[in-house]
Amino acid sequence: MSTTKDFIVEQLKQKISDFKSEAKEQTVGKVTEVGDGIAKISGLSDVMMSEMLEFTNSGNDKIQNSVYGVALNLEEDSVGAVVLGDFSGIKEGDEVRSLNRILEVPVGEGVIGRVVNPLGQEIDGKGSIESEKNYPIEKIAMGVITREPVTEPVQTGVKAIDAMIPIGRGQRELIIGDRQIGKTAIAIDTIINQKGQNMKCIYVAIGQKESKIAGIVKKLEDAGAMEYTTVVLAGASDPASLLYIAPYAGSAMAEYFLDKGEDVLIIYDDLTKHATAYREISLLLKRPPGREAYPGDVFYLHSRLLERACKLNKEYGGGSITALPIIETQAGDVAAYIPTNVISITDGQIYLEPDLFYQGNRPAVNAGLSVSRVGSAAQIKAMKKVAGKLRLEAAQYRELAAFAQFGSDLDAETKAKLERGKRLVEIFKQDQFNPLSVEKQVSIFFAATQGLLDNVPVEKIIEFESGMYTYLEDNGGGVLGEIAEKEELTDDITEKLTTKINDYKDTVDYLIKE
Amino acid sequence: MKITPKQYANALYQSISGQNDKQIKDVIDNFINVVIENNNVSKINKIIEQFEIIWNKEEGVVEAEIISARKLDDKIVKLLNSYITELSGAKDVIAQEQVDKNVLGGVIIKYGDKVLDGSLKIRIDNLKNELAK
Repeated sequence: MSTTKDFIVEQLKQKISDFKSEAKEQTVGKVTEVGDGIAKISGLSDVMMSEMLEFTNSGNDKIQNSVYGVALNLEEDSVGAVVLGDFSGIKEGDEVRSLNRILEVPVGEGVIGRVVNPLGQEIDGKGSIESEKNYPIEKIAMGVITREPVTEPVQTGVKAIDAMIPIGRGQRELIIGDRQIGKTAIAIDTIINQKGQNMKCIYVAIGQKESKIAGIVKKLEDAGAMEYTTVVLAGASDPASLLYIAPYAGSAMAEYFLDKGEDVLIIYDDLTKHATAYREISLLLKRPPGREAYPGDVFYLHSRLLERACKLNKEYGGGSITALPIIETQAGDVAAYIPTNVISITDGQIYLEPDLFYQGNRPAVNAGLSVSRVGSAAQIKAMKKVAGKLRLEAAQYRELAAFAQFGSDLDAETKAKLERGKRLVEIFKQDQFNPLSVEKQVSIFFAATQGLLDNVPVEKIIEFESGMYTYLEDNGGGVLGEIAEKEELTDDITEKLTTKINDYKDTVDYLIKE
Repeated sequence: MKITPKQYANALYQSISGQNDKQIKDVIDNFINVVIENNNVSKINKIIEQFEIIWNKEEGVVEAEIISARKLDDKIVKLLNSYITELSGAKDVIAQEQVDKNVLGGVIIKYGDKVLDGSLKIRIDNLKNELAK
């Protein structure tokens, strides 16, 4: 007993003798004005832009409540700052200390599988985040000599996207559409499909309902996707300052893995709310409003964020950050201010259309308006081969279908095109949380483009599709595995695949007889 | 054009610098007349405030605050004054003493927007944080 006591006393003595305290000179200011999450501070003459500030409650000595803030406006004799967190305790006359460092978040392996707030603090109740490193949230994007063109694909597992609007590692692809038509669903499917694809995922929720995020986290956990995913959450009830820094914090966490040469997928859901939060802060800080009351630098707000997505060349580690920003439009108005800004920044967009959605074509991807500026460079050879004509055929079908509504007399060629198109539309339908591997996608598109589906009734296509996958898995003689491995359609594989699909067709009884 | 208190104070400082007492009196009389003519009498308190800031800045005067647990004797105050002069690089220091029991021991020096906390309280707090780790 006494030995433990001695040990403790010894330890304490050691600690106290090791303890050195020096009086350090600190810069302090005084709060002159607070309200709506921002504070005006006098003093703090040598504070840096976006430096962290600590607000201390001078009145209450017993509980030292410190709240952090960021200096955003440096004026002649005052500093405008946003308060990160609860600002209700801050009074006029409170002391503000500058901490001599730019706002940072903890990064590292410790954040994987966690739900954190934009300051990197845990909010999932699984204990504090272990990390050795901090990264500044604002960072200038990698320069041109460090980059290389995008070549490797990100398999989203969504047929319509992987075939027609391929996304590459290091690309920035915008997902745009009205509310409630499956923008987040595409992003979540993409995360789920990254299992075993050597990809870390970061999902940044900006101004989302916490119930929705809880649902998403549950879905990701069930799919085993939280093993490589971090969720950065700034909820709808969080102050605008947290919403504003959330995507930058997520980006800083992604850059840690980039520096290690890994591939990261980051989703910003959604940047419309981010712009709104920034507008709120800017107006409160009395910056002059511009179009739609957004401040003059909203473009830079998003361009500097999305420019941090990159594909590095081998000399710089070869890592990549793929960004999937989401923008919500009002009644399909893509010509509004923020949507046009982000469209011009990104390398293409996936446009989701309400009409398609309500017709039951889900995911409601509009093939005509959606583009990927990286294009087929980000597809495996096999997919390139089968998907080359798909976009064209899908677009032609839509035009013909509108035209054919009026006349009943059609020539054989047009009829054939229409029939093919109907089947394509059926193939592009896909359930949520059901991403498809690339070899299966290749096999169904192969069947469609080779005309093997032409005598399968349109209403039976979905049934046929899932039956075909099962058949190819069980009796395919490893043809799916070969496609996945070789990544191209050799003559050998083409022949084998054709025979196997025809074999399966012989087992079904709903084929149209000639 | 609207004239701000800062502009008034600046003008006043520049017109009295390098003048003797008699001239300063004339300048001030004239200045007050100008202020009255412009209907700016209500701004006079702000002008004085700004003038003090400008004066202190130009003449190298620093206002400081010394907070201690007990009343300090003159020798220590003198020492602290010269220390503050050295720290701030000012020519002259106007120090105000304050007694606050919460400091426990040592002193806290405040000047400009800088704080030098050498109190016993902050050291005990730091030790507490260190041990809690």
